[in-house]
Formats: sequence, structure tokens, C-alpha cells
Amino acid sequence: MSGFLGPLESDGRIPPHQQTRVAAFLISAHGALARQSALTVPATLESGWQTELNTQLFRETEIVSLLIRATSWAPDPGLGYMAVGWESAWYPAPVHDIPDWPLAMAAGLATLAHAVHAAIRPAALLPTAANPDDPFVMALRHIEFESGRMLQTQIIVLKSSTLQPHRDAINSALERRHREVRKLWHDMLRSVGIAVDGSNDGQP
Amino acid sequence: MPFLSHGSYRIRYELDGPTGAPAYVLVNGLTQYSELWGAYRAALFARGFRVATFDLLGQGASDKPTLYISQDDQVGALGLLIDELGDSPIFLGGVSFGGLIALRYAIDHGGRLSGLVPMSCFAELSPQLLLLGNALRTGLILGGTSYLQDLLLPMNLSDQWLEPLLDKLDTVKRQGWLVNDVYALQNLMESFLDFQPLTPRLSAIAVPTMILNGEFDFLTPRSVHETLRIEIPNSSMVIIPKAYHAFTLEKGALTADLLARFAEDVLAGRWQGNQAVWVAPEEPGGELTPFPAGYDHLRAIPVKRALP
Repeated sequence: MSGFLGPLESDGRIPPHQQTRVAAFLISAHGALARQSALTVPATLESGWQTELNTQLFRETEIVSLLIRATSWAPDPGLGYMAVGWESAWYPAPVHDIPDWPLAMAAGLATLAHAVHAAIRPAALLPTAANPDDPFVMALRHIEFESGRMLQTQIIVLKSSTLQPHRDAINSALERRHREVRKLWHDMLRSVGIAVDGSNDGQP
Repeated sequence: MPFLSHGSYRIRYELDGPTGAPAYVLVNGLTQYSELWGAYRAALFARGFRVATFDLLGQGASDKPTLYISQDDQVGALGLLIDELGDSPIFLGGVSFGGLIALRYAIDHGGRLSGLVPMSCFAELSPQLLLLGNALRTGLILGGTSYLQDLLLPMNLSDQWLEPLLDKLDTVKRQGWLVNDVYALQNLMESFLDFQPLTPRLSAIAVPTMILNGEFDFLTPRSVHETLRIEIPNSSMVIIPKAYHAFTLEKGALTADLLARFAEDVLAGRWQGNQAVWVAPEEPGGELTPFPAGYDHLRAIPVKRALP
């Protein structure tokens, strides 16, 4: 087993069964973020940081659209069972210590988004020999790049003056989300033959 | 891969060499990871030293706190590693951000050290350094780790080092890109948001201190090292010829030799700091020469030093 996708096909492409499962996981995670962003963005923005939620909505949608088109899909009988587990993990989890309910929801969404954008690095799965012109390879690189930028959205939200009084609760919720997301991601990678050091999965 | 526990966080470290031997503990710069000290481990081991390296919180295989990293925690993690080394003499070296962590440890726990080597280091954020740091952070945010590496490589390494690698820079960057995450690097950078200058506390460092500064380092230029030389009583500054900020990467053999000679001199009672300024040899084993008397070591052109 290797820590990277592959063995590659003769033209440097990622095997379709790996593409399918990785793309399905990413679509599930980013699709959930898109849906929750759509429900969380207020009709009228009242704080500066809320502009970031609007940005997030469209970036997440772009990632889903990109993956649907860039992936070489293959039949995967195990996918339905796994997808149920993923989808249930993305359920909104408001930060309960925050008494303002809409704010608690927004903070919960930001912790999930931070975990997805920080803990999942799809481009780091690509072996050096992967075909750089392959759409799936390019999509993974694009998603990791955009994830890095979208991380700022979450950091701005989570470190905003509005949430500063709840710093400990935010930290605790964020670390829990990171653990959950990292474990799901690692489990999925192992299911397609990728070696992952999971010794740290229980840690923040 | 051994780990230390600091609160709920795990610190990955490597320790080689005979128990009881004098030890060098080496602290990474901001974008580095423990393996980059590999050449030092071999060179110092051959000179009879034990060598300890580790990934700071937020780096490599150590845990990466999600939103905040405190520099106090970094000093605490360093203290845990030093505690692992028992009672043998400890020499502590750190480069750039790691040098700052080493300075903080030496201020608070200097009695545990036999010697200190800050390299490409600073005790306060000059306006230039503050603005450069902000620009690098913006680069990381907008362009990711790879873009930060693109900025740092030409800033911190010489043409002579870069030229033969120009067509394989992606390979050079890849391991650092793989092991260091954007959010963790950003947290490390943002640990400076409430940074208080160390300058007023530097005089508390009583241990022999060799300050290493690259001749052409413009990220942390001579002036910021001069603060260390003036404020740390038993110090001397050694200028590494034709070197930039990342001379620990570019001139590993020379730097490891200087580290070993410094520790050997301290242990033999030969070390004299005197707040002197020296010029290192270009090759390992060469002679250190005093900076020419009467000339200003803060200038790049030979200007006579102003008389007091």
C-alpha cells in the first residue's frame, strides 16, 4: 500500500474506482457545505463576516459541479452504504454554548467548513507521475487550492469579534469536527487501498 | 516515530546518539520539519554529540492545533524534549522562528543550558520584518503553501544553490508542501499577532551564545542580530560569508562544524564571547577571522566605524 492514489493507469490517470470514491466523498462534504451555506446566509447581510458565507456558498457549488464533470465514474456497490455514513456526519451541529441561535448555527457551519477545507488535502494524494492534464488530477489540485483560500472564510468567522466571547466553545467544537472529518476521510482512503497514518485520528 | 505529550497535543521528535553525551537540540524554522536536520544529525553524531530534533506544534508529524497556536506552548514542548535528555550538557540551536523559541527558552530556563546558538534570528519585529511577515502571510492565504515556498526560496537561498535545481524545484518543495498544512502554517504565523519584543529580557541570558547571521540575509538582516549581540552579555556574532537567511540548509556542513566547535570550546572552557564579531570560514574546518577592526559590521560597504 502507498500513501498516494494509484497504481496509475498507463496514461498517468487515477484508476476510476479510486476517482469514484474520492469524488463521491468530496461531493458529499462540499455539497453539504453548499446546502448549509445556502440556508445560513441571511437575505440581508448585517455583519462584514457574513459576506464570507455568500462567497462560500458559490465556491462549494463550484467544487461539486467540477467533480461531477471531471471524474471518470465507475460502478461502486459499496458507495451507497458509505454515503449514508458521510451524510449523517455533516448534519448541522450548532455550537450549543452560544445562546444566539442563528449565530450558533453559523459557528457550527464554520467549524464543519474549516475541518473539511483544512483536514482534507486531495492534491496531496497525487503521485508525482500523475498526468497533470487529466481533468480529475487538475480538479483535485484546484479543490485543494480553493480550499486553502476558503479556509480564510472560516478563520475570519471563527476569530471574529462576534465569536471571541465563545472562544473556548468554538475551539472545542472545531477540534471535534476535525477529528470526525479526518476519521471519515482516512477510512474512505483506506477503503481504496491508500495507506494512512491514522494514529492521530483521535487527536485534535 | 516517538512522541512527547504536551497537554492534549503530541510532539514528534527524533533523538540519536549516546546517552550522557553532550547534546544539541535543534529547533526548526517556520516552514521546516525535523528531517531537514538530517545532515546535522550525522555530522554532530560523528563529533560525539547526541542530537535531538522535533516538529513544532503545527509542523510535520506533530499535532496541528486547529485555530490558535501559542508560542508559550512551543517553548513548553521544547522544554519537554530537553527534559528527555537528562543531566548531560545541552546546547540549544534554533533557526529563524525556531531561534526565537530557543531565545525564549534560554531567557526562562537558561540554567539548564550550556550554550545557545540563535541562527537567522530576531528578538523583535522591526518595521521591515513585520511588513515582510504580513506579506508572506498574505501570500500563504492567497496562494497556499506552494506560493509561500516560491517566495521564500529565492529570498533565502543563493543563486549558486538555486541554479542547478531550477528545473526540479517542484521536487525540492514537495516534501515541505506535503507535511505542512496551510491552516497550521497560518496559525504559526498568527502566533505573532500578540508578540511582545524579547529585547528587554535578553540580558537575562547568561549562557555562552554564538549568534549566526548570513552575510546577505535580508529577511533578518545584521541589524536584528546586532540587538542580540548587544543585549546578550556572553555572546559573539559570526557572519557566514555569501549566505542568506536559510544558510542552515545551504551550508549545512559548515554550520554543523561551527556548532560542534562552539560546543567543544565551551566544554573545554576556551569560549570567550566578548560580544565580538567574527567572520566564518567558507569551508568547514577553516579559521574564523575577527571582523576588520575599525570598520562597521552593520554596513555592506567598508565604512569606518564612528568613534564613540
